[in-house]
Amino acid sequence: MKLSQLLAGTAAVAVLATGAAAEIKIGASLPLTGAFSIAGEKHRRGYELCVDLINERGGLLGEQVELITSDNRSDPATAINQYERFINVDQVDAVFGTFSSRLTFPVASLLAKNNFVHPVPSGGALRIYTQGHENLFYFQPDAAEYFGETLTDMIQELIPEDQRPQTAAVVAADDFFANAVEAGFLGTEVVDPADGSVVEDLSPGYLADAGIEVVYSEKWPEEGFNDWLNLANSIKRSEADLIIALTASAEEAVQLTRALQTVRAEPMMVYYSQGTQTEFYEGTGDASETITMHTSWHPAAPFEGTLAGEEFNNSDFVAAFEEAYGNAPDEDSAIPFAVCQGIEQSIRGAGSTDNAAMGEWLYGRTADDPVRTVLGTFQWDERGLPVDKPFLIAQWNGGELQFVYPTDQFEGVSELQHPKDGF
Amino acid sequence: MAEIIQIVVLGLALGGVYALMGSGLSLVFGVMRIVNLAHPSLIMGGAYVAYWGFRLYGIDPLIMLPVAAVILAATGVILYKLFFEREARSAKYSEMTVLLTFAVAMILEGGLATAFTNTQRVTSPEYATDAFFIGSVFIPKGQLYAGIVSLVLIGGLALFLKFSRFGYAIRATTQNREAAELLGVNVNFVGLASFAIGVGLAGAAGTLVSFVFSFYPSKHWEWIAVLMSLVVLGGMGSILGTVVASFLLSVIAAFVGYYFGATWSTLTFYIALFVVLLVRPQGLFGEKPELA
Repeated sequence: MKLSQLLAGTAAVAVLATGAAAEIKIGASLPLTGAFSIAGEKHRRGYELCVDLINERGGLLGEQVELITSDNRSDPATAINQYERFINVDQVDAVFGTFSSRLTFPVASLLAKNNFVHPVPSGGALRIYTQGHENLFYFQPDAAEYFGETLTDMIQELIPEDQRPQTAAVVAADDFFANAVEAGFLGTEVVDPADGSVVEDLSPGYLADAGIEVVYSEKWPEEGFNDWLNLANSIKRSEADLIIALTASAEEAVQLTRALQTVRAEPMMVYYSQGTQTEFYEGTGDASETITMHTSWHPAAPFEGTLAGEEFNNSDFVAAFEEAYGNAPDEDSAIPFAVCQGIEQSIRGAGSTDNAAMGEWLYGRTADDPVRTVLGTFQWDERGLPVDKPFLIAQWNGGELQFVYPTDQFEGVSELQHPKDGF
Repeated sequence: MAEIIQIVVLGLALGGVYALMGSGLSLVFGVMRIVNLAHPSLIMGGAYVAYWGFRLYGIDPLIMLPVAAVILAATGVILYKLFFEREARSAKYSEMTVLLTFAVAMILEGGLATAFTNTQRVTSPEYATDAFFIGSVFIPKGQLYAGIVSLVLIGGLALFLKFSRFGYAIRATTQNREAAELLGVNVNFVGLASFAIGVGLAGAAGTLVSFVFSFYPSKHWEWIAVLMSLVVLGGMGSILGTVVASFLLSVIAAFVGYYFGATWSTLTFYIALFVVLLVRPQGLFGEKPELA
């Protein structure tokens, strides 16, 4: 081979390599195996669909977007290592957040140290947002500690006084997220794990505020717990009107529901922190009837978003997801999709992948000019928590997940079914 | 009094399921000295067989049990031929199998997740969420049926090992591999068959797991510590010991869960593991697979 040919070949390779490097790289470490694998896999689908759709529409700032995902095995240390690798080895331009408060908490410190915008899909524990990190943006309605207020508001607004629950059993996974939700219901102090300082005192708690007496409370370990019948039996024996079960995953919600059905518990009302997924209905069938649950998203919610500079609404997302994967999405895919929309809009808004500029653009969102996603609009306070964004409550009725509260946000709200008629 | 009876019933009900889950693990260790960390992954395989039989054709998981057992036993033959046979005479065999089966577990997890996704699954025959009520005490039908099937299978295995000619060969190989070979036992075939039976038991246990617990490919990591604690308490290699340990620990865990909180019930298994290793490392029934 002549020297000139060799040089020409080398130059061609260099041009191709330069072309490849011109892509916008985004890294996401997800729990694709391990305890959070179910939600982790759905998050991956949400991210991938969004990136594919952006690329189909011409990319971002004229470049294609490359999504790099890796499996952190639901392990916080692995998640940290993978984000470090994204930043230092893969040299990504931006990142998408991981799933769960447990993984998000340590990852937030690393990304803040490296001045990356950290969009959080699923990490609702208040303590994540009180560490003073900049460029942290949560893509769900509010911190998990505040879930309870929506439930008690719903009870007082929608249920006649003589039919309201008077007593409650509160059971929770001993998990970062579930503990956070429980703190709001029971009114405990939220403590910073780093220095033991009190982040927020939630006493007396939403249940006490609503005049509901807690007659039973219990925790189960976040992994390896199988004694669901014993737990369900204790709940039944408490004779609580309202069962509040704060699970870290839909799988736990299935296990507990089946156990409550087996022991023939007869509460007036049941509320879960997880269970909007189709697998929940598949695992529980008719026992799911009238169970209410927190959610950040609903397929029928007329949220209006944008993607690649074009209108892309919640209904478009549902259709695109069904076409891509052959099944209906749930919130575990919708939330990461919204994260991707937010980052895409921030890059477009900042005109570059400079994370400082992206963060500045995101902080600059207002009610009139928000980030627009399949989860609705977002603007954030200085902690990174959304402003003026209500939680939603859904209810399983006849195998359909119906959106029941709040009633004044948009059309299509179903009537709350109450009381529950056994499992 | 009713409370105590209820706790004992729930403990025994759970113990019956654990007994079958652990017995295959115990058999494989007893005969082959393989610490099969992939055993819970293979249980997941059996659970998926039951799930798809139920989902696609409405077949009761208990009817799918022999199907799952045969499919998993065949899988066991393949795994044994691929990974274990060539190393069977190695001086470091048991140590090697720990790492080997760990790798097999990860491969199986990845394979199951690729084939069936990481979505949680559960089968829902009517009895799975029903119970017999005797006064204020209830007996969960799903766990009761699972426990009965489990004890029947383990009893059958015990009779097979004690009275059949091949059972003699298995027990002889368990007690002294070299002596058995000198007396004409084809120890390689005994090893292969024992491994297949052990994995077949995992498949059978998987069908019970499919309606007692929900499952997904990664779930096996939660099972291995529990199963190891049962096998160690019972005595590595002792099927009878595994059965006794399953009932004992499940009942203790049920009491701990009721009186000290659910968080502590899971810990019961790990504390038992530590205590046994410190106080009686050979377990309740020693190292030999005594069946009666």
